[in-house]
Amino acid sequence: MEKEKISGIQLFLLLLGFLFGSTVILGPAMGAKNDAWLAIILGGATGVLLMQVYVAISLLNPSKALVDILREKMGKVAGNIIAILYIWYFIHLASLVLRDFGEFICTVTFPETPMVVVIAIFAFILVYAVNSGIEVLGRLGELLVPIIPLVTLIISLSIITVRDFTAFLPVLENGMSPVLKAAFNFVTFPFGETIAFLMLFPHLNKKDKLKNVVFLSAVTSTIVVIIVFFRDIIVLGSDLMSRSTFTPHLSSLLIPGLNIEPLIDINLLIGGGIKISVCIYAAARALSQITGIDDYRKLTGAIATFCVVLSIWGFGNVLELFIWSEKVWPYYSFPFQIAIPLLLLLLSLIKKGKSPNAGTKK
Amino acid sequence: MPGKTSKQYKNGNQNIIHDYTQISASEPIPGTIEAVSARLGEIFSDCCDFITREISCGRNGQIKILVAYINGFVDKRVLNQDVIHPVLNFLSGTELHEGSCIYERLKKCVVINNDIKEAGDMQQAVEGILSGETLLFIDGESKALVIGVKDPRGRQVEEPDSETSIRGAREGFVENLLTNTTLIRKRIKNPNLKLEIMQLGKQTKTDVCICYIKGIANEKIVREVKERLRKIKTDAILDSGIIEQFISGTRLSLFPTVGNSEKCDKLAGKLLEGRVAILCDGSPYVLTVPFLFIESIQTPDDYYDHAYFATFMRLLRLMALMVSTLLPGMYVALVSFHHTVIPFKLMITLAASRQGIPFSPFIEAILMIIAFELLREAGIRMPRPVGQALSIVGAIVLGEASVAAGIASNLMVIIVAITAICSFVVPPLIRATMLLRFVFLAAANFFGFLGISFVSVVVLIHLCRLRSFGVPYMAPFSPLTLSDLKDSLIMVPIWAMLTRPKILRQENARGAKGSKRQELKTRP
Repeated sequence: MEKEKISGIQLFLLLLGFLFGSTVILGPAMGAKNDAWLAIILGGATGVLLMQVYVAISLLNPSKALVDILREKMGKVAGNIIAILYIWYFIHLASLVLRDFGEFICTVTFPETPMVVVIAIFAFILVYAVNSGIEVLGRLGELLVPIIPLVTLIISLSIITVRDFTAFLPVLENGMSPVLKAAFNFVTFPFGETIAFLMLFPHLNKKDKLKNVVFLSAVTSTIVVIIVFFRDIIVLGSDLMSRSTFTPHLSSLLIPGLNIEPLIDINLLIGGGIKISVCIYAAARALSQITGIDDYRKLTGAIATFCVVLSIWGFGNVLELFIWSEKVWPYYSFPFQIAIPLLLLLLSLIKKGKSPNAGTKK
Repeated sequence: MPGKTSKQYKNGNQNIIHDYTQISASEPIPGTIEAVSARLGEIFSDCCDFITREISCGRNGQIKILVAYINGFVDKRVLNQDVIHPVLNFLSGTELHEGSCIYERLKKCVVINNDIKEAGDMQQAVEGILSGETLLFIDGESKALVIGVKDPRGRQVEEPDSETSIRGAREGFVENLLTNTTLIRKRIKNPNLKLEIMQLGKQTKTDVCICYIKGIANEKIVREVKERLRKIKTDAILDSGIIEQFISGTRLSLFPTVGNSEKCDKLAGKLLEGRVAILCDGSPYVLTVPFLFIESIQTPDDYYDHAYFATFMRLLRLMALMVSTLLPGMYVALVSFHHTVIPFKLMITLAASRQGIPFSPFIEAILMIIAFELLREAGIRMPRPVGQALSIVGAIVLGEASVAAGIASNLMVIIVAITAICSFVVPPLIRATMLLRFVFLAAANFFGFLGISFVSVVVLIHLCRLRSFGVPYMAPFSPLTLSDLKDSLIMVPIWAMLTRPKILRQENARGAKGSKRQELKTRP
């Protein structure tokens, strides 16, 4: 399994797809209204830092995945318990994205189709992708992820005629606190979620590229999100924007004389698909490492089924989902995304400081 | 995979009949001409094309020679001139000889023909006779001379019908293996062009030739090809298509992982890129491996013309490929689900043209596509002179009358026509697109654009999984190989193509600077 390798560009595109994920339909940091761009910049900067923490953990423990690192640094029992919590977290994340996807499709395109059908078919395809292995996932990313910025660009250029360039003014009308809150939200969604990539980093064929790849992908995604935000706000205005459910979709409807609604579907399909597959892969790999099952492929089906069920049962309706994602999700994921990784980094640094001495003594 | 195949054949194939003419592996050639004659007569009983001639020479006729061959295989004039005549002269004009001496002298200085081999046992002798050689048995010898005086008659080298091009050589391969190898050798005058021969097929004993350029082709791939060929266990290799199915390694895929060509210049180009060719006696189609997705939109013409046009044509071909697979599905999705996406004015005409049609767009599309596929199939199967009638029927009845009769809408006819035209642009994938079209149609009927996207993603995953002899099928796009992009969708001028495709030659690429390290795996 470990022999499967992905190249730098494949990891870059996978990360990019993951970061776009459901952000392409939800529009992050909306809590800050027309100051969201500030929140995005702040959150983006913090997100880049946070992802560098993950990189540092991976570099300090070369060719080890998250589970191994946890077990090594925290002892077998505690490590396993935390690893199981992480598996739960990945599964929960996947189910959230699945639900986002299902909500979007069932709200916008197929109002009469039962959501479970859409989600289940999608999950089925993703299991096929995940079972094909991380190499195939990487290659898939190479073919598909470049479509997302392309579509975003097409939409942005098409609605450049409908505009109100002053829409993002006034700056900091409500003070700093909503901005900071939104920035924190933006850090946890999507940047902190890349903790799942700690299961993928060992597959990179050239370790020295890891830092740059992760940095570039975080910066690129922040830039695209800012562009999307400015596009949406100059097209829709802050009032309409804060009230709409799927903002980018709404603004794409404003393209004069043409309806390219399905393009947004494609964006979500690709971004969300990559996000869910990475989560399922991470969960399956972690579980197989804990239980000692040789092949993670035996677990993907079960995990994906669980994700589907969870995504349907987790929330009553779309509003519940959104409120939960905005109010609870950041605090819920705080330990997984920030606390434990920082602890791991600390432990790795300490062990690294000790180990040369220990090595010489022995 | 090939192991599995052979197993399957052992258990299930009824075709392998018992070998009645049992010649054990090393049956010696009998010592006397009478015995040889009797044994050959036994083996070739009831074969009217088998000819033997006994020649008795020397003072008292004590030196006996037996000539055996299959009628029609052998050029008789050459046989008489170069073999029989000198042999008779030699034997009648000299003193009595010892047996071995006669054999050596016949071999070294009497027979004029250059292509002389030895057969040490009966099996070799019979195989020689069957593959068109002439056998010369000498009394008291345990060896026989195998003399190649084959009649090279066969189809003339002509322009292939299946692949036509505007520029480039018109020569195409023929059924004769020797002619084909000559055609390749004529283009690549290099001793590194290796032609290794083996016999396949339990009953047919077909000559199959593996052709590659040593030093350019990847040794691993060559070894893999040989391995897979050796594992073929079947009765008959009647065409290279049968070999293709045995060695392709991905039996459940719609997409071809083995390429074929009838054009010599195309094949030479593929060999020079580092591919391995498999020639099969009796088939003008030469196989090339590994076959990647990108090759289906490359044509030999591209390299002979200006790179701008080639790039444009390749983009056009890719578009045609997509259109021919997706268009009917897209249409059905638009009409049944996404009315809002259609511009308003087109929507009015569309609604007008669909008025009075009893079928759903899906059924309508299926009907028209099947009608077209029938026309196409009929065009291939029926005798050439009837073709004209068919095209009239196809154009008038299916085009005009079906619309007038209210079975199909005008737009549907246009859609099917465009689909049909596009499907002919990319010949290697014609079968894959034909079937995928229906899958996309069904998906579009149930789920609109979402269904189409779902199926496309599944197809893409499948393409990314696929490997042809260890090389990823979607290379150079994924995995991205920057230097190989020069000859992909966008083609740089021929003078700027400095390196051979890296992806085919990974063992060298590994050492090169900045190249990708990829494990060469053969996954079934």
